[in-house]
Amino acid sequence: MRIASLSFRYGRRDPWILSDAGLVLDAGDVVEVTGPNGTGKSTLLRLVAGLLRPVRGSVEDRPRVVGYAPERFPADQPFTVSSYLRHMAAVRRVSTDAIGRWSERLGMDHLLGQRLPDLSKGSAHKVGLAQALLAEPGLLVLDEPFAGLDAATRAELPRIIEDVSARGGIVVVSDHQGDLRAFPGLRRCEVRDRVVRELEPVAEAGETALTVLEVAVDPSRASDLADRLRAEGCTVHITGRITARVTREAAG
Amino acid sequence: MTPIMALARFRLAGYVASHRALQPLIALLALLAVLYAGSIPAGQEIGATADSAAMLVPVLAWAARGLLDTEPDEQRSVALSALGPKELVSALLAAFASLLVLASLAEAVLLLRLDASPTLTVLLTGVWLHLLSATAGLALGALTSRPILPSPAVSTIALILGYLSMLVLSMAGARWLTVPVMAWMRDAHHGVLLSGLPLITVQSLLWPAIGLAAYTWLRRTRP
Repeated sequence: MRIASLSFRYGRRDPWILSDAGLVLDAGDVVEVTGPNGTGKSTLLRLVAGLLRPVRGSVEDRPRVVGYAPERFPADQPFTVSSYLRHMAAVRRVSTDAIGRWSERLGMDHLLGQRLPDLSKGSAHKVGLAQALLAEPGLLVLDEPFAGLDAATRAELPRIIEDVSARGGIVVVSDHQGDLRAFPGLRRCEVRDRVVRELEPVAEAGETALTVLEVAVDPSRASDLADRLRAEGCTVHITGRITARVTREAAG
Repeated sequence: MTPIMALARFRLAGYVASHRALQPLIALLALLAVLYAGSIPAGQEIGATADSAAMLVPVLAWAARGLLDTEPDEQRSVALSALGPKELVSALLAAFASLLVLASLAEAVLLLRLDASPTLTVLLTGVWLHLLSATAGLALGALTSRPILPSPAVSTIALILGYLSMLVLSMAGARWLTVPVMAWMRDAHHGVLLSGLPLITVQSLLWPAIGLAAYTWLRRTRP
């Protein structure tokens, strides 16, 4: 699959979101798309999935079966999880057996009887992932798939991505939180200033170039700062609390 | 079942289960109550059929818009990822199916209020005119749906003005410039509708066809 000289803006008077972007994706590739908020990651993903048409340039040789899980699953629909997935299985022409398989794997068996509007954000997100995976996609596009997921599903999702990749599927994931950083063979792309730039693989950059920085911050600001640093491409672990006195001593 | 039909069924199910399906239904029932407060005397059947078809257009357009807009935008993206551009065909099919239900209900009430038993000609003319009405409603509803006109206020005004322009232009005799809804009624009441039915059919399908083509073209850049 080839993205060539792709430029996109939403309207003639709107600014360009992407300009002359190019990317070649081979069978089995897993690509993590990073970049600061509002730079066009989701737009790039929608262009890759075929939901938006490029204003200039092209997306060629897109696999026939595309699975797309949006960043926010549209839970405001009058269906139970089970009936929604049955409808989606019919649309995808796959057996309803796939529903049981994916619900078990995503840890959402207990949600099948619930109505979509009653689901928590994380549970609704799982439904979005399940519908994208139902038809064994040749191209799987996941927009912030780890957001709001419980620990078990967070751990399972890389394995699912690995399976899709192992059977020749292309997986494109936008991921703020770096959950895929340890994924073997991961390709990383950054969207910034309208340009899509391929980054060095994490493994190669790792041992030689990384510096560990200790930052002490007020607990109420920790999560926000961690998110901002992650958006900058840093790997962040919140390890625990220390008292201000200790911090001052350390500083002195 | 083909993916297009499966998606149309999903959309119809979502529409029926949401409150949106009730709004045009209530409007239709109110319209029918006004239209058929008195029974229809013998000899007036085709005229009454044409009146019904012409007055149904805005209700059907509202219903079509309601069905197309029931689905959240992100769900439409999910459908688009599954079916590609055929997603649009499925949406129009689902909307047209819902319009056929409303038009059939209107036709059934009309038949019940006839003083004389309807002839085959009355039945077929009624079905035909209501199909033309549904096609006009589908095009107007699609062109005022959220992907094309995101603002609900603008969309509602466009829908009303679209229907008013049909009335005004066809009242002025400009049969080729719009769906000639006034001509349906005038010709039916003057007893010349059946003799000119092929021509009026072409005139009535021309603008909905252009409208649906425009909708398809606009949706290329408005998913």
